Amino acid sequence: MELFRKEDKMSSLITRNYNLLPVINRFGIRLGFKEKTIAEVCQEKKIDTDFFLAIVNTYTDESYFPEAEFLSFSPVLLIDYLKNTHKYYINYVLPKIERLLNQVLQSCPENCSSLKMINTFYQKYKTELLLHLKLEDEKVFPYIINLYENKTLSAEGSFIEVIENEHTNVEVKLSDLENLIIRHLSPNYEDNAMNEFLTALLQFENDLNDHARIEDHILITQVIEFEKELKK
Amino acid sequence: MKENVFIVHHSEIIRKGLSLILQEYFKMEITQLSSAKDLSSFSAISGSTLILILEAQADLNTKAIDLLKKNNDVYLVGFYGETSEEHFDKIFDYQLNHYSSAIQIQKLIQVIRQSGSKSKNSLQDNGELTTREKDVIKLIALGLSNKEIADKLFISIHTVISHRKNITEKLGIKSISGLTVYAIMNNLLDIQDINPEELI
Repeated sequence: MELFRKEDKMSSLITRNYNLLPVINRFGIRLGFKEKTIAEVCQEKKIDTDFFLAIVNTYTDESYFPEAEFLSFSPVLLIDYLKNTHKYYINYVLPKIERLLNQVLQSCPENCSSLKMINTFYQKYKTELLLHLKLEDEKVFPYIINLYENKTLSAEGSFIEVIENEHTNVEVKLSDLENLIIRHLSPNYEDNAMNEFLTALLQFENDLNDHARIEDHILITQVIEFEKELKK
Repeated sequence: MKENVFIVHHSEIIRKGLSLILQEYFKMEITQLSSAKDLSSFSAISGSTLILILEAQADLNTKAIDLLKKNNDVYLVGFYGETSEEHFDKIFDYQLNHYSSAIQIQKLIQVIRQSGSKSKNSLQDNGELTTREKDVIKLIALGLSNKEIADKLFISIHTVISHRKNITEKLGIKSISGLTVYAIMNNLLDIQDINPEELI
């Protein structure tokens, strides 16, 4: 996959990787680009072009990993974006997945106890994920913003190392859920309903992985560097 | 092991052409970069087989390549503009040029395949849990620690850990709650054995 550059057409972004649709929405960019380039659209919307490119390239190429020194934008910008993503998960994706799961449950004719277990497991996963998002929104992000505003280290220590560990836990549960359904659950449901649910779940997993990569690789890298400087 | 192929060349025709030829044989992600400078953005890749096809006469960004070599199997392929065989750099493991034939490119592909095949025979299982593993799963689901499981089954903690590892590999399930769901779904355990509040 070739990296996106600022002189590429905004429309080519979507034709090459339609998974970026919700991503550009989070920047307030909507379809109908005409022949405008990425740089032109960003300028119009007052978006930092380097920042935009770093994000879409991270979503597009799994191994893309911009070095801290190349990142000219402020982490505060990134946090705005991440918060928007959280809202998108909480208000749109999770309710959608839950609706699809309910359709699967309703399609089960009888002996649905295994499917109900899957539902319980999903609920547990969701609770954990929401807790994690809340921790970031209420503790980690304010910590980072404060760090950049006041340029002093907090006496309570850093919140940064917690996140990566948390990511792994949440990821494990989601992958367990998928394996339970794909490998171990006897198919006592309507296929189309399950396919829709599973597709939404797998898509969510991809989006979540990209999201976690942005946090782990871009945000945390930047903040750790900054903390080091402050300690000097 | 994961395989990554990078094609670094300032000519778009060459990048795309080479990538097309490679993709005829492989279904793999190929990253195309117009300059080796951009390689720095990928320095966090680890545990992969990396094939870097680099424009030979251009700046190679050895700093980024050295970083990649630390955590990966890196194969460097020099891509030359001419057929003259005078000045092949020692840094490259293999070389190609504008006029390389399909056979030469296939040879390169073989190298890629061989480097990737090393790790593929590690996963072989019939998927069925042994009786002992089922015992262990039951106790995990009941919330026992490794130490408690070891005491109960008269085995060492080390053996418990190795059972858990095998279970996870066979089932693709890692979390305690996931294993509990599996145990109930497969009647290894009755739902009444578990406190539904703590269930998951």
